[in-house]
Amino acid sequence: MTARIRTLALAGLAWLVPTLAGALEGESETFPATAKETGHLVIHAATDLEAMRPLLRDFQARNPNIRIDYVDYVTNDLFREARDACRAGTSEADILLSSSVDQLVRLANDGCAQRHDSPETRSVPDWANWRDEIFGFTFEPVVFVYDRRWVPSEDVPRSHDALLELLRRKPDAYRARIGTYDIQASGIGYLLAFYDSRQAPTANGRLLEALSRVETIVRCCNNEVLGELAAGRISIAYNVLGSYAYAAALANPDLRIVLPRDYALILSRGALIPAAAAHPDLGKRFLNYLLSARGRQVAKDASFFFAENAPLPVGVDGPEALMDSGIGRPIRIGPALLAAQDEIQRSTFIEDWRRHIGEHPQR
Amino acid sequence: MFSRLMRRVGVVLALGAGTLITAAWIYARAAADDAYDRLLLGAAFQMSESLSVADGNLRFVLPPSAFELLGLANDDRIFYRVIDPSGATLTGYADLAAKADLSASRAAPIFGDDAYLGAPVRTVTVSHAMSMPEGPGWAYVVVAQTVEARHALASELTVRATMLVALMSLLAVAGTALAVRYSLRPVDDLAAALRQRDPQDLTPLTVAVPNELSPFVTSINYFIIRLDERIKLLQRYIADSAHQIRTPLTALSAQVSLIDEQRLAPEDRRHLKRVQSRTLELAGFTNQLLNHAMVIHRFDSVQLVPVSLNDVARMAFRNAVPITVDPDMIVSFEAADEDLMAMGDVLSLREAVVNVIDNALRHGAIARLEVRVRQRENFGRIEVIDDGPGIKENDWPNVISRFYSRSPDARGSSGLGFAIASEVATVLRGQLGFRKRSENEPFCVYLELPLVGGQP
Repeated sequence: MTARIRTLALAGLAWLVPTLAGALEGESETFPATAKETGHLVIHAATDLEAMRPLLRDFQARNPNIRIDYVDYVTNDLFREARDACRAGTSEADILLSSSVDQLVRLANDGCAQRHDSPETRSVPDWANWRDEIFGFTFEPVVFVYDRRWVPSEDVPRSHDALLELLRRKPDAYRARIGTYDIQASGIGYLLAFYDSRQAPTANGRLLEALSRVETIVRCCNNEVLGELAAGRISIAYNVLGSYAYAAALANPDLRIVLPRDYALILSRGALIPAAAAHPDLGKRFLNYLLSARGRQVAKDASFFFAENAPLPVGVDGPEALMDSGIGRPIRIGPALLAAQDEIQRSTFIEDWRRHIGEHPQR
Repeated sequence: MFSRLMRRVGVVLALGAGTLITAAWIYARAAADDAYDRLLLGAAFQMSESLSVADGNLRFVLPPSAFELLGLANDDRIFYRVIDPSGATLTGYADLAAKADLSASRAAPIFGDDAYLGAPVRTVTVSHAMSMPEGPGWAYVVVAQTVEARHALASELTVRATMLVALMSLLAVAGTALAVRYSLRPVDDLAAALRQRDPQDLTPLTVAVPNELSPFVTSINYFIIRLDERIKLLQRYIADSAHQIRTPLTALSAQVSLIDEQRLAPEDRRHLKRVQSRTLELAGFTNQLLNHAMVIHRFDSVQLVPVSLNDVARMAFRNAVPITVDPDMIVSFEAADEDLMAMGDVLSLREAVVNVIDNALRHGAIARLEVRVRQRENFGRIEVIDDGPGIKENDWPNVISRFYSRSPDARGSSGLGFAIASEVATVLRGQLGFRKRSENEPFCVYLELPLVGGQP
């Protein structure tokens, strides 16, 4: 009973802290129009500004009359803000970008999105388009990242099973040296964990147990997990978005990326035009740009590095044919994601997860 | 007939097609509803099966497979609500189907149509009996789905059915057109047979027709036979009349000529002259009337044969020009170089030409009368030319009608001469024509007939 109360208290605290942090963290930047301003595009995103910056710049080079206000949120805050705005029938944002596509699906399901049909949207694969309202505009495998200074080559886990095996074999070497998302604070962390549990329920339970036993470090967001890794405080980051991981690896040559060879979840970051957007035409123009060949090229070169029909970026350790081999498991943007968004589902899942991982004190 | 028939068939087909398309639409809606209702119900059952009681609490794990099932209608939005036995919403959209009577679903799942978040939705409510620590109770699952996929399926089915109906209608129209044309062909044949029939041919029709038309042909034949009988009767009557009238007339003439003029007072002699002339007039008139009747009725009974215009004209010339013609009068006849043949009846034609020549001698010719036969393109002409003043142009249509006399005092003119000639010409597909007197050409009356073998 005491354990249960402590868990709940912890859960409550953990709920509160990232909310505040997220709201404070909400990075905002304005890109003034480079020519005479004729339009004003507001982007609310749960996507790193640094990743988006090349795309924003390139878009502005082609649309110099448009000022862009970019506000960065953590996924849960973005969702809450968009849902409240939708209920009030308003929207500050002209386009929402979020890696937590289940939240976008929930928004679209509740009628908070507007349709968009253009030559660019028609090139989006089926699994990354729901109702012509949500479009996946990136292709981001979920990867393991390790620090080669700490992980000898024979230890490099090339599948989920290998990671489980490693943790069982050398629990002491990796005690408090594994980092992953806090699924309660991060919508994308929850989504990935939820899909992990669906891919291989039993194996995933065992892996969670093993992660728990080695006192895995949980952090709110991708970059914090990667930051811990770069700082040398952990050795392996589990379930990190490939795009952020690759950016981190470019900055720090000691970081290495592994695409698991049993299965690799693939996330397509979603974009949605709010139903009540003030300038939906600008939002749609930016969306068209993101989905255009040019936008995808810029994204592949400078922002997200991975692309569906391109080989893996240099230096990434992974299977040859990601999609054809069936190893790549795209998270289909569709109504099935609503199951992940159910409140009971979510609280039960997080509670179970926390029981596995979060019962030891965090450093 | 054809267009009227097609119009009616078209109306019937259009009504039928409209009914079929409406029915197809209704069936398509029902089929789409049925198909997607099963998905909806399946998902609702999966959800209700996931309700369980653990440690005295209601536990619910939303099965993603339920959403995957509903996701088969990929573009449709999904709403759901799980209600615990106390009536509180456990999870989902709390205001979904708020007004519905949930307990009604205890017997069987209930489907309904509703609107949620501004979109029309199809809902299903299923119940699940739970054994809670405080006693048994009912939990409910309401699942709603927007109707886009249903409508898409229904309209796709309807469009396909419509295309089939349209195709069938087109085939039906084409088939009807062919059938109508085919079945009307015997009628056309019959009409053609009647049209091409010689006017004198009063024998029954022998055209082969389908059974459906034979009463019609029988009626026509019955009519023809009666007409034939009637004409024969009329001919007999005319022959009788001619005979009956001629005999007393001849007797009358004889009696008049027997009166001794010398013994009459000059006054009475004048009266006798008048009686003689009137008797002559009566004889001529009777003759002409009988001739007219004879000519007209001959065409009803006599078969037309190729006739030499030269011969006819020569015969008429000899008949019409009396031996006692004024010696100052120059009369001449000129036949055509080649023998011109026209379909006709010698007697009638001769009578017609005689009338024309007679008329010229009586009213026209002063010192010259010429009869000649000429070919003019596909027509043969018998021309009667005299040096008289001729007939005024505006009188031409009048003189060919019966009993028209140009000069009321003209003796012996019954006014039938041109009428007979014109009727004969018309029956023989020709015409009676006039040519004006001019500086170098005298007045001419001609009878024009199509030549045998020539283009009509």
